[in-house]
Amino acid sequence: MRLGLDDYAYLDSPLHRWEPRCKLIGLMALVFAFSQVQNLGLLPPMLVMAALLLAMSKLPIAFWLSRLRAPGAFLLIMVVLLPVISGVTIIGRVGPLAVRLEGCVQAGLLSAKFVAIVTTGLVLFGTAPFLTSVKAMRALGLPSLLADMTLFSYRYIHVIGQDLETMEIAMRLRGLRQHRLGNRVLTVLSSLAGSILVRSYERSERVHKAMLLRGYGRAPRVRCETRIGGGDILGLILALSAAAGLVVLDMLHQGSGG
Amino acid sequence: MHIPDGILPAAVNAAGYAAAAATTWHSLHQIERKQNPQEGIPKASLLTAAFFVASWIHIPIPPTSVHLVLNGLMGAVLGYYAFPAILVGLFFQAVMFQHGGLTTLGINAIVMGVPALLSHHIFRLRRVTGIKNRAWLAGLAFVSGAVAVGLSALGSLALIITTIPGGLSVEAEQASAYALAVAHLPLMVIEGAFTALVALFLQRVRPELLEG
Repeated sequence: MRLGLDDYAYLDSPLHRWEPRCKLIGLMALVFAFSQVQNLGLLPPMLVMAALLLAMSKLPIAFWLSRLRAPGAFLLIMVVLLPVISGVTIIGRVGPLAVRLEGCVQAGLLSAKFVAIVTTGLVLFGTAPFLTSVKAMRALGLPSLLADMTLFSYRYIHVIGQDLETMEIAMRLRGLRQHRLGNRVLTVLSSLAGSILVRSYERSERVHKAMLLRGYGRAPRVRCETRIGGGDILGLILALSAAAGLVVLDMLHQGSGG
Repeated sequence: MHIPDGILPAAVNAAGYAAAAATTWHSLHQIERKQNPQEGIPKASLLTAAFFVASWIHIPIPPTSVHLVLNGLMGAVLGYYAFPAILVGLFFQAVMFQHGGLTTLGINAIVMGVPALLSHHIFRLRRVTGIKNRAWLAGLAFVSGAVAVGLSALGSLALIITTIPGGLSVEAEQASAYALAVAHLPLMVIEGAFTALVALFLQRVRPELLEG
């Protein structure tokens, strides 16, 4: 089982070289600025910013497309539904369904925001090893319990996922056919989930003992080892200015009743 | 059930982050009241990963299949660790699979995590009442699983319906709410039954896992 998040974390690009804490603050500010855009006129600059980030990151387009596919199904449902269920100004009919202007506008707005946010998020977490990103979050004030849980879980998802694959193959080899829901299938699958939990619990006991032997709980806190340079600050200022610009322009537009 | 990026207004996303931060603080506060909270981290983390993986198990419902949410079971097994565990799980979902989203992480954590904490309290009735038989265990586990997934579905659907831009008519809102509530009843039953069966399995094999 491959999660693939770190596949392109070691490329050489300005986004890869950007200091992780500055990158986290700058790109998260952009993500939140994108999420509050309501003005259609701001969609082109927003999409251009996301496209520029993607181009600068050197992440392959196929990787980006593969990441848009899964959540795109939900978005597709919204884009199909909104024009016929939302709004009052009817602009046409498709069979018995009335197509409404407000719904069409909102469908476009949601799609553009979704693509821009997912792209920026992918650039944020796809251009640094996951460990580096979590260290940056920890350095920015993420509680240690959450940081530890994130790193431990990330480390073991691969291992436990492999366990699940092996156990499912074993079940199929022993004749389980999961085509129909019944008492037997539900009982077997619940035992599978229970076994995954029990195995993980037992593994955690061994891991905890091994960690204690290596000084867990007494070691100094992990700090972000990277240094912030002038270029990092410049990148941060640019990202924050772009985010602030979007927010201000959107507010001005709303204030003018547009 | 995970609300993706771009759907909700920014104010709702910000409120979601604030509520998630407050609930995380409350959970961490409860965890730190234990004698050695650090001891629980490896267990909670590996179980978080295990729940994440267990949610990939597909339950066949011809002609399709569904995957379970398991937040009720997380509440029963992890106790107050359930909320940070769900937060971590949703973060993985958002950055690895783009399910849910970064801007909606807070609101999704509230929608999934608060019912998990409620399930923890429902499941604790077992200890409070001191009744140890299997039927009571199964009953509480069923209610924990069904209520948690029901509330999560209700929460996310209510958020989406009430924040749809452009607005729906009152009749359309009511009709969609009823339709979606009815559609989720079988899922509540399946999630409840699955939670009860896993709880019975754990009681047979590793009862200390149910001490949450």
